[in-house]
Amino acid sequence: MTDGTADSRICDEMTVFKKKICLLGSFAVGKTSLVERFVYDRFDEKYLTTMGVKISQKILPPIQGAPGGKMIQHTFLIWDIAGLAKFDSTVMNYFRGASGALAIADLTRRETIGYLSELCDKFKSVNPNAFLIVLGNKLDIFKEDQNMLSALKSKAADYDTDLILTSAKTGEHVELAFLNLSQKLGANQ
Amino acid sequence: MSEALKRLLAYKSFGTVVFDAQFDIVDIDKVAQAILTSMGLRPSKGNLLDFFPEFIGSEEFIQQVIKKQKGDFRLDYVNRYDNSNTILYFNMLVLPGEKKDLGLLVLENVTEQARIAQALNQQRYELFLYKHDPEFRRQFLSESILGDSEAIQQIRATIQKLSKVPAATVLLMGETGSGKNLAARVIHYSSMSADAPFVEINSAALPEHLIESELFGYEKGAFTHAVASKPGLLEEAQGGSIFLDEIGEMPLKMQAKLLSVLETKTFRRLGSNKPIEVDIRIIAATNRDLKNEVDEKRFREDLFYRLNVVSITMPPLRELGDDILTLSRYLLKLFNVEFKKEVKGFTGEACQALLGYSWPGNVRELSNCLERAMIFVDKDTLDASDLVIVGSQTHAADRKPDRWTIPPGGIVLEEVERQLILSALEQSGNNKSKAARLLGLTRDTLRYRLEKYQLT
Repeated sequence: MTDGTADSRICDEMTVFKKKICLLGSFAVGKTSLVERFVYDRFDEKYLTTMGVKISQKILPPIQGAPGGKMIQHTFLIWDIAGLAKFDSTVMNYFRGASGALAIADLTRRETIGYLSELCDKFKSVNPNAFLIVLGNKLDIFKEDQNMLSALKSKAADYDTDLILTSAKTGEHVELAFLNLSQKLGANQ
Repeated sequence: MSEALKRLLAYKSFGTVVFDAQFDIVDIDKVAQAILTSMGLRPSKGNLLDFFPEFIGSEEFIQQVIKKQKGDFRLDYVNRYDNSNTILYFNMLVLPGEKKDLGLLVLENVTEQARIAQALNQQRYELFLYKHDPEFRRQFLSESILGDSEAIQQIRATIQKLSKVPAATVLLMGETGSGKNLAARVIHYSSMSADAPFVEINSAALPEHLIESELFGYEKGAFTHAVASKPGLLEEAQGGSIFLDEIGEMPLKMQAKLLSVLETKTFRRLGSNKPIEVDIRIIAATNRDLKNEVDEKRFREDLFYRLNVVSITMPPLRELGDDILTLSRYLLKLFNVEFKKEVKGFTGEACQALLGYSWPGNVRELSNCLERAMIFVDKDTLDASDLVIVGSQTHAADRKPDRWTIPPGGIVLEEVERQLILSALEQSGNNKSKAARLLGLTRDTLRYRLEKYQLT
């Protein structure tokens, strides 16, 4: 078992992998709502801040692995991590062993983009080979703000990754974000 | 592990699980068994990762801990759910075992302290979001109008729509104590930025000449006591909302001036010829039937139509069904804090009493009733006998104004009003806020009437 490839087993012609995925972002950007939408297909308007870490599990559809390789299937262990104010060793343990992360900003709160750099840098310092995808959440209430979009695109470019705009409320592009991460991980297995 | 250490850990309610390098559980103590049971798991020897998927991905690191190449591995505030879907919080610490190639997992249930920290974070973040996130503010304020009845849901939906039209004039109607003031504030704060002014004036609380100078302001020398210029409330509300409470009490002359402001979006200070432009939302409220007031020529028809762009009628409490209990529970929480009590709720009989009463004074009366009950209660639930309404049902119904009859000899209305005010003051021990609540008036209105009847 290698670090980042949490658990794997072979079922006939398909290999199943368990992967730890972290959700990173400031408070109230919608991390918990994205998990709720993706895992349970539900949404709650009421804001309830997360304390510590909440882990959910979801089996993703099978995908083609590396070119010419077998079909693979991911089970994501999704770590919904509270918006953090400090980064001590305990917090770094939340990140440890993750294969990927969704770095989430709130499209209606510009300050949440700035915070992403610090989070992503810390995350990458523990998991240098992990994949990141930048999400701009709350698309349903986003009023086209080109400055905001440029800043987010620039942030995604900093980490050489994609930007996906999502709405946990309507479900728009939520599954796409997780599937995209699954594809990125699959291409390297 | 030494017996003394085992006892110490158990004494501190720390559970321990011993496991090997393949993560197979070797030993699990009673406290850990209880913790696993509280998580809805059946404690047994098996693989640690099946019980704690939190360690998946960190196996290599944990194996290094077992081999004493790393000090420890710790996860704080891991969320789990119990069988009743209540969230529990645990700290998990992995240490090297005393014997070779064994690891020790120490579990601690930290639910209580996590809940306190969570509540603090919640308040801190909500405050931040309230100030900086208009969408959050809209949602937050909308929830401050309590209740699930269809009428309340409709009001919330209308206010939600109004929050996107910050210029629309709104007329709030409804009985006294039905929440018009709250609705006005929710409309304002959900449609404006957090620092936009909300200015309130009560037409019934001020004499005519004061309404005019308060509303429009004045220039130095405009009248005898105008020793310096003063901006009016319309100016202070610039960029925000002005709430004209009890608009039905506004004198006709003032109604004409207000109509002019609504039509021209300008006004002049008293003693000035210079027009001042205003950009404000006007929210008016009344407990009178304004259409009837128009018919009776006590309210200008043109002003009525100007104000009645969007109207919301706040339903009386008696029409809200189980919302009475929702409101009662909310008020109970507030009074628990205010009076440092820990009353948990209402008995079935108390609920029936609350639901069975007609609440002519609406939420204000309900609040007074519960406040009184909370002052005197010394149990952990409120019973029907703790509520003043119990046994006074007939009496309460008699208090409805439409049941009163005028004696053949007639009355002097002002004298009746004066006597009622005196009675309220006597009942409230001369506490003006309480007396105002008993009379269904605001404190300002009562103060004005006290001056009017020279009762101060």
